[in-house]
Amino acid sequence: MITRINQLPTLRVDPANKVVFDYKGKDYVGVKGDTVATALYHNGVRIFGRSLKYHRPRGLYSLDGECSNTCMEIDGIPNVRTENTLVKQGMKVKEQNVKGSAENDMMGFIDKLDWMMPAGFYYKTMHKPASIWPIAMKQIRKAAGLGVLSPDFEMPGKFDQIFPSADVVVIGGGPAGMNAALAAADKGLRVIIMESRPWLGGFFDYRTFDYKDAQYKNSKPLYSRARELASKVESHANIRVFKHTSVVGTYTNNLVTGFQIGGDNDKFNERYIEIRAKSVVVAAGCIERPLLFENNERPGVMQVACAHRLARTYGILAGEKAVFSVGHDLGLEAAVDLFDLGMKIICVADVREDGQNPYLMIELAKRNIPYLKGWVASEAHGSKRVNKVTMTTLDGTISRDFECDLVVASAGLTPINGHLTLAHAKLRYDSHTNFFVADTMPEKTHAAGRMLGLEDSLSIEVSGKLAGLNAALDCKLMPQSYGNTEVDALKSEIESFTAQSKELPGPARGSKFVTAPVKGRKTFICFDEDTTIKNIKQTIDMGFDVPELIKRFTSAGTGPGQGGIPGHNLPLYVAKYTAASSKCFSSSSSSSIQSLGATPKPTNVRPPLVPTLIATYSGSKHIMMKRTPMDEMQRADGGVFRKIGVWERARYFSDDFSCKKEIENVRNNVGMLDGSTLGKFRIHGPDALKVLQRVYVSDMSKVKTGRVKYSAMCNDDGCVIDDGVVVKLAENDYYFTTSTARAGATIEWLRYHTRFDGWDFYVVNLTDSMGVINLSGPNARKVLQKITSEDVSNSAFPFSGYKEFIIKDTIPVKAMRLGFVGELSYELHVPSSYMVSLWNMVKDAGKEFNIQNFGVEAQNVLRMEKCHIILGQESEQRTNLLDLGLGFLWDRTKKDAKTIGAVALRQAENDPTRFRLVGFEMENNGRAARDGALIVDDKVRGYVCTARDSFTLNKAVGMALVESHLAKVGTRIQIFEDECKGELIYGTVVPMPFYDPDGKRMKS
Amino acid sequence: MVEIKRYSPVAFKASPKRTEVRDNWTVVLEYDGEGQAAFGQSSVNDNYLVDLSHITRFDVQSSNLDSITPFGIKIPQGLCESYLQDGVLINRMNRIQASVFCLPNKKNEMLTECKCDADCKCDPQNSSSYTETTEVGMCMAIIGKNVFSITEKLTSLDFMDSAKTTPFLYQAPMSHIPCQIITLSRDSAKSGIIFTASRGYGKDMVHAIMDAGEEFGLKPAGEDKFKSWLNNL
Amino acid sequence: MSLTITCPICGKRDGYEFRFGGEDKGPRPEEDGLTPQRWCEYVHLNECVAGVQKEWWVHKDGCGSWFTIHRDSVMNVEVATLEAHK
Repeated sequence: MITRINQLPTLRVDPANKVVFDYKGKDYVGVKGDTVATALYHNGVRIFGRSLKYHRPRGLYSLDGECSNTCMEIDGIPNVRTENTLVKQGMKVKEQNVKGSAENDMMGFIDKLDWMMPAGFYYKTMHKPASIWPIAMKQIRKAAGLGVLSPDFEMPGKFDQIFPSADVVVIGGGPAGMNAALAAADKGLRVIIMESRPWLGGFFDYRTFDYKDAQYKNSKPLYSRARELASKVESHANIRVFKHTSVVGTYTNNLVTGFQIGGDNDKFNERYIEIRAKSVVVAAGCIERPLLFENNERPGVMQVACAHRLARTYGILAGEKAVFSVGHDLGLEAAVDLFDLGMKIICVADVREDGQNPYLMIELAKRNIPYLKGWVASEAHGSKRVNKVTMTTLDGTISRDFECDLVVASAGLTPINGHLTLAHAKLRYDSHTNFFVADTMPEKTHAAGRMLGLEDSLSIEVSGKLAGLNAALDCKLMPQSYGNTEVDALKSEIESFTAQSKELPGPARGSKFVTAPVKGRKTFICFDEDTTIKNIKQTIDMGFDVPELIKRFTSAGTGPGQGGIPGHNLPLYVAKYTAASSKCFSSSSSSSIQSLGATPKPTNVRPPLVPTLIATYSGSKHIMMKRTPMDEMQRADGGVFRKIGVWERARYFSDDFSCKKEIENVRNNVGMLDGSTLGKFRIHGPDALKVLQRVYVSDMSKVKTGRVKYSAMCNDDGCVIDDGVVVKLAENDYYFTTSTARAGATIEWLRYHTRFDGWDFYVVNLTDSMGVINLSGPNARKVLQKITSEDVSNSAFPFSGYKEFIIKDTIPVKAMRLGFVGELSYELHVPSSYMVSLWNMVKDAGKEFNIQNFGVEAQNVLRMEKCHIILGQESEQRTNLLDLGLGFLWDRTKKDAKTIGAVALRQAENDPTRFRLVGFEMENNGRAARDGALIVDDKVRGYVCTARDSFTLNKAVGMALVESHLAKVGTRIQIFEDECKGELIYGTVVPMPFYDPDGKRMKS
Repeated sequence: MVEIKRYSPVAFKASPKRTEVRDNWTVVLEYDGEGQAAFGQSSVNDNYLVDLSHITRFDVQSSNLDSITPFGIKIPQGLCESYLQDGVLINRMNRIQASVFCLPNKKNEMLTECKCDADCKCDPQNSSSYTETTEVGMCMAIIGKNVFSITEKLTSLDFMDSAKTTPFLYQAPMSHIPCQIITLSRDSAKSGIIFTASRGYGKDMVHAIMDAGEEFGLKPAGEDKFKSWLNNL
Repeated sequence: MSLTITCPICGKRDGYEFRFGGEDKGPRPEEDGLTPQRWCEYVHLNECVAGVQKEWWVHKDGCGSWFTIHRDSVMNVEVATLEAHK
């Protein structure tokens, strides 16, 4: 364990507040504010895990989770980014992708076998012979990959979701972002600022330097400026701050998504955030561009800000003896600062010929830190961690080894552009900053700060302010909003700030692209996927030239860190290597960006920009299902429920899923079914009948008062989409039912198909307002007569009749005589709130007949025996009205109505190629074929819609859709079931319906 | 003998303290543990969920909506505007359609009696333009200072949109379920919305709202709490 | 969903609330003299413009209105006019 420097004003940890956690079964002590990664580092852990392919040791490199080096298993969750996860009391931390331990990984030998695995290795080797792949895949899966998840893993914790409203969203809580937020909020706009670290401050937050501070009136270190801004932002009434929040997606129309990691006082582990802003400011800043040299990812090699922030933010000195190989002033600043904090700096190599900040040069000299201009690290040594580094001049002529335990290496900066490119910004390479910068910005999106190449602290702040004002202008230019004077004032303010910013230093000259003069066999361009420079060269030599394709082929940049580590180097390297036309690009000469022949092309990133748990996306995961008014009663009666469409429905009432008892009770006695899920509508208004004529195939002018009319709706292809009954309540006032599945889309359908007509009609969806009891069976009338004084005799209330009456002077009932299940039956539509009472009444009245519930499956068998269809079972999307034998419903005379489907039906009428719905029974008392089984000869000729072993008929029967030549009664059909291994079963086409063909029972 | 009762699609875990039978509904006036009866008097926990599914509601449609005056009250002209008078809340849904809510309020008890001609269009019972929709939906109110912190976990709607003035109507999904949501007040501690959604979703909707409201101490409350809140608007 | 659609009744809303109703092809043709070819074209043939086209949408989770918008099918954004984004 290293001693913590615990007196720094920049610290973000509380060294006095210890946190004990478990690492590989042993207690480790961190402090409050530590991430898991810093706590482990503090405890001396240097190897955090092993790499995906070669099992190379990997350690702390960037501190913001830009690669998978430090991904670990925490509390059973694999691939947790430990650099972004705060350590908590009792946490259980484990390393992953190791056989043995990260320190001594038995798979480590694979690193020596890299020559066997050139770029595209899998694509090229594993397919010949094809049979090798399943075996090879198993072995590869064992060796490669990161964390492992067991199939029965259940995500612990509470996940939340939030969709806040805001005018302006600011991505990035650094100096530019905070200025943008303040500028927009001061204009009265609602601002949300999202910052991935647990505090605001960005790259000011850990820096004590004030060498450019003449610009601030009372010269002050950058970190105090950051804290000053942060306190303004956090206390601003119009600003909402989301800290520890990663933005993972930005989309057109200013949609921003992200997730927040819950803190001590939050009631969630993670919270998905989705915001539709009116304008977006992107001030995401920069990350460091990795320096490319041999073993550039050996534990002990880390980026400048990583070493600097470890010390300044966490009080941890990353090593004792450090060698710096940098290309940017931040590297010099870190060397000076870390020297002052007690680190031995052996030397600082800088790839830049000029452009260094003279102040920093003096400070380096004051401290006698050797400074090597034009030198670069070319190889790190040490088998598991760095013990030595070879430094080389850029031309490769002179080399020297330095013993050290830390190599601070960075090639310069690279902007975090993902938030712009996801929202369709087009990038171009800017040769001054050596950045990819946005050429065209997404609408109402503004970039600010370091990602524009700005380095001067005041320039950064002003650019943020300007972006905030521009975002404010976007909002104020929106319709509905603000007066011209306000907009004009804002415009002139923007102009004055633009002028002011021109006085300040603009984008700085970027660091050159330098590759150390090495072959690159162990020079890693992508840590996540173990892609080396050599792999990239191999790929280009195969003819690839577009970075995005090279990325696909080598998988560089497709790991959890996405573009973070390789995103900038890959395009630069490709441009440089392809420019060497002879393909014998000399690796011994380094070349600068100026000599890049081709213009670098960026690779793409995709959402989520940082790895996001599926659990976080699913948020609070409420399953929203509908329940009928009878839900609880049926559950109490033993109902077995299933999710059917949007509803929870009682499918069975016993664990006998053949429903024998339920079925027999309906056939012989009386049963009750909850039919509340039926779609129910009122349509009224002067043109109501015209609408019905348009959507129903029948002539709806013939609907008689006191009768129900069964009809069907088709689509423009004549295919049946719905069936139900229509009741006439008054002139141009109808009540109609639809199938359960169509209830949600019915009004939409009616309005769509009349949208050019300008008809005057009104529809009300009453689906949920009416509970429906289906009372069926030979004793149904006796039961009904007991609860109403209304005459329900067969003459007073015949089949297809409709009646309205009031039960016990209280419950209004719409009653219909239907026969879906083929027995005497009544459908009672009652206001939902009364449904429980009526249900109890019916049950009470039926007690003497031993009335029983029946469920959806029993109904399915009952109606199948009667050959009544259910759309979606006896039909699919190509099945038309005529195929189902329902042509009698279609009225051909109402051409003026432009009935939907009529044209197509007329065309289909004499089409011999169409399927027919037929009834069949199984041969030799065989069991019923499974629903969906195919009817075959040498080809597929149809399929089984519904088939069941019928208790009523004592044989297995069903309905099938078959080609018309098989439709004749007596035809033998051959049925092929899934996994039947060629053993066909057989049936014979028989007349429909199977049960009570004359309909005596339902009409009696 | 079966007792005839009407049941709300919504049920809370809390047990009712005081109830009242009204038109066969058992209306809960107060739940156990909801604190002081009147809204706004308790200092600790001021977020409540109130079941109003029993209040009478109508759908009214006409190509000439201006000619219809539910209970003598004019339907607001602006799309998605609402109007509250004497406990009657009228919401303009589109060019031809409005919804009418009879909130629990002393005044509207007498509203059902119409004093106009026989073919007037202010009495829902007498005009075919109306359809009673009480049974179509669940109806609930969320009141208290954190209403919009709760709703933002359920919907992306911008209740604080400065271009709107209360009361106003949103026809939009909440917790994925299409709703009519009327914002009656967004005045800090007195904030409140009332919403309807398909009755079948009652159980899951309450579950989703109570879950979203957990961190804000959302509690079920009886009708009296709502009344005292409404009277304070 | 990044797509937003402006409902004439409810204003600008999230695309999830709407259902696509196809390209605008005008009213149903008269049935007299209608050839199968012409009917099939009306029902099934679409322009599928890579660019801005006029489309029907319904505010299914909101007010239920049917209306037309212009949408840039390449960027998947609603635009003000047919000429926009060309």
